Amino acid sequence: MSSTTVSTSTAASGAAERDQISRPPPRRIKGAGNGSRPWLGLLYLLPALVVYVLVVIVPAGQGVWLSFFHWDGVTRATWAGFGNYTGFFSDPTLREAVTHTLYFILFFSVLPIALGLLSAALASRKNVRGAAVYRSVIFLPQMLTPAVTAVVWKRIYAPNGPINSVLRDIGLGGLARGWLGDYTWALPALGIAGTWAAFGLCMVLCISGMQAIPTELYDAARVDGAGAIREFFTVTLPGLRGTLSVVLTLTVLGAIRVFDIVWLTTRGGPGISTITPTIVLYQRAFANPDIGAAAAIGVVLAVVSLIVTLVIVRLSDSEAR
Amino acid sequence: MISAREKVSNYVLLTLVAVCVLFPLLWIVGNALSPSVSGNLDLGHLQWSNFVTAWKQAGFSQYLKSSLIITGSVVALSTVFAIMSGFAFGVLGVWGQRLLFPVVLLGIMLPMETFIVPLYYDFQSYGITDTYQGIVLAHVGMGVSFGAFWMRTAFRAVPRSIAESAAMDGANSWTQLWRVYLPLAKPAVLTFVLLGFTWTWNDYFLALILVSDPAHQPLTLGLGAFSGRYLVQINMLSAAAVLISLPIVVLCLAFQRQFVRGILSGAVKE
Repeated sequence: MSSTTVSTSTAASGAAERDQISRPPPRRIKGAGNGSRPWLGLLYLLPALVVYVLVVIVPAGQGVWLSFFHWDGVTRATWAGFGNYTGFFSDPTLREAVTHTLYFILFFSVLPIALGLLSAALASRKNVRGAAVYRSVIFLPQMLTPAVTAVVWKRIYAPNGPINSVLRDIGLGGLARGWLGDYTWALPALGIAGTWAAFGLCMVLCISGMQAIPTELYDAARVDGAGAIREFFTVTLPGLRGTLSVVLTLTVLGAIRVFDIVWLTTRGGPGISTITPTIVLYQRAFANPDIGAAAAIGVVLAVVSLIVTLVIVRLSDSEAR
Repeated sequence: MISAREKVSNYVLLTLVAVCVLFPLLWIVGNALSPSVSGNLDLGHLQWSNFVTAWKQAGFSQYLKSSLIITGSVVALSTVFAIMSGFAFGVLGVWGQRLLFPVVLLGIMLPMETFIVPLYYDFQSYGITDTYQGIVLAHVGMGVSFGAFWMRTAFRAVPRSIAESAAMDGANSWTQLWRVYLPLAKPAVLTFVLLGFTWTWNDYFLALILVSDPAHQPLTLGLGAFSGRYLVQINMLSAAAVLISLPIVVLCLAFQRQFVRGILSGAVKE
């Protein structure tokens, strides 16, 4: 449940950026509540806290612990030290998966943000009629469950699907293929499906961010004779810094962990040409149990996620100064 | 003031983007209505009965029941937990919150993959894999972080003076929460419910791992099983996919305004 979370915090920091006179220090914990009834507060928190500890904190701790063992889920576990972690360098499957993550960051994060930004800029111009319709249409894929997205794109890329029909009709039948079964093309094909699914959210968040930009800034830019493009780069883009760091965090984290769409279309294949770290984790954990190795992947994903979040937040903060 | 040329190119670009987005969806809807089992479009002979046939063949009634039970319980429990923990952190203050709040927030950044494997083995030892209780518990536990964060923000935006006057009238914390804070935070609650519904309904990964018994699996897994079994019947598969998507799409379109406004108002408040 992370999508809106970050959006709130950063949009708030965006607000802080706007009144630049004094940048209030983060008052996360200190300012919370009046603190006069802390025991009562604990009582209110307790039910949620118990469930949270049971489902998240304890298993997370166990995951770290397990990652230092070799264990097949049945026989006695043996100490592995950092053996499961060195797999990231020595295991060709895992190395391949990590490489693919970079592709997924391009297709699930960079491209959707670029497209989302473009369509948000277009849809939120003044006097655009039917902007709401465009927005709903572009947001549509975001609402679909990954199981459905997978069905859709399997059809589009099928040997007798629309892409191949068009290729055959224009005399390029030689290029037609089952795109998701092709060693070279499966990965970019999946990437495009991911871009399609993700950029609606990017657009909606960008539009929200743009609505917070004071219209006087646009008027001023117009008076200065700025065209649509210069206006975008001098007013819109700087005003969106907070929003963009949110969107970037969300999508990059999504790209690092991608599972559903890949698992439901190619299962990481053909061969291992579309495998992702989470698929390796799933296979190690359940198909052919090497639970320590699976746990190690989980721990590395957590560490990378935290680092990515921190770096993006830090970057957007330092640019703001 | 936008020049006519700019305006036209604006529309052309937007329409182009929209068409690219819509095309795959329309293709599937076309397939879903087509009599051809191999996925050829035949829009001359629309076959609406595909939806009924697909529903029956895939055994969707059982999956739908599971989806409704799981999503309904998760949303109800998560919302209550979010309200109570948000009230605790945002209004009452919590003993040890300097430590507790960051620990709770950690769950927002921690990917599910980090704890899912041990969680599976824990649940196995409690005997709650393949049960509604198990998957609901997992969803609810994972929703606590965001819920506490979200409702804390909402409650902190409530003017202190209102609550103080209620307190002077002798309202205890429970009454204050339900009579004063909650009505004022309604939009935030609605957004939380919508988000929770969407995420739980659309979940695949968690159910894939925790529920292997088809009798307790949600629709998303049902569709996966269906697409494995009926690989050749493209029209049935497409019809099933359309059926699954409908509730969420309708919900999101109907509440899009609240959705975005909720996100926005949540953002402005902190």
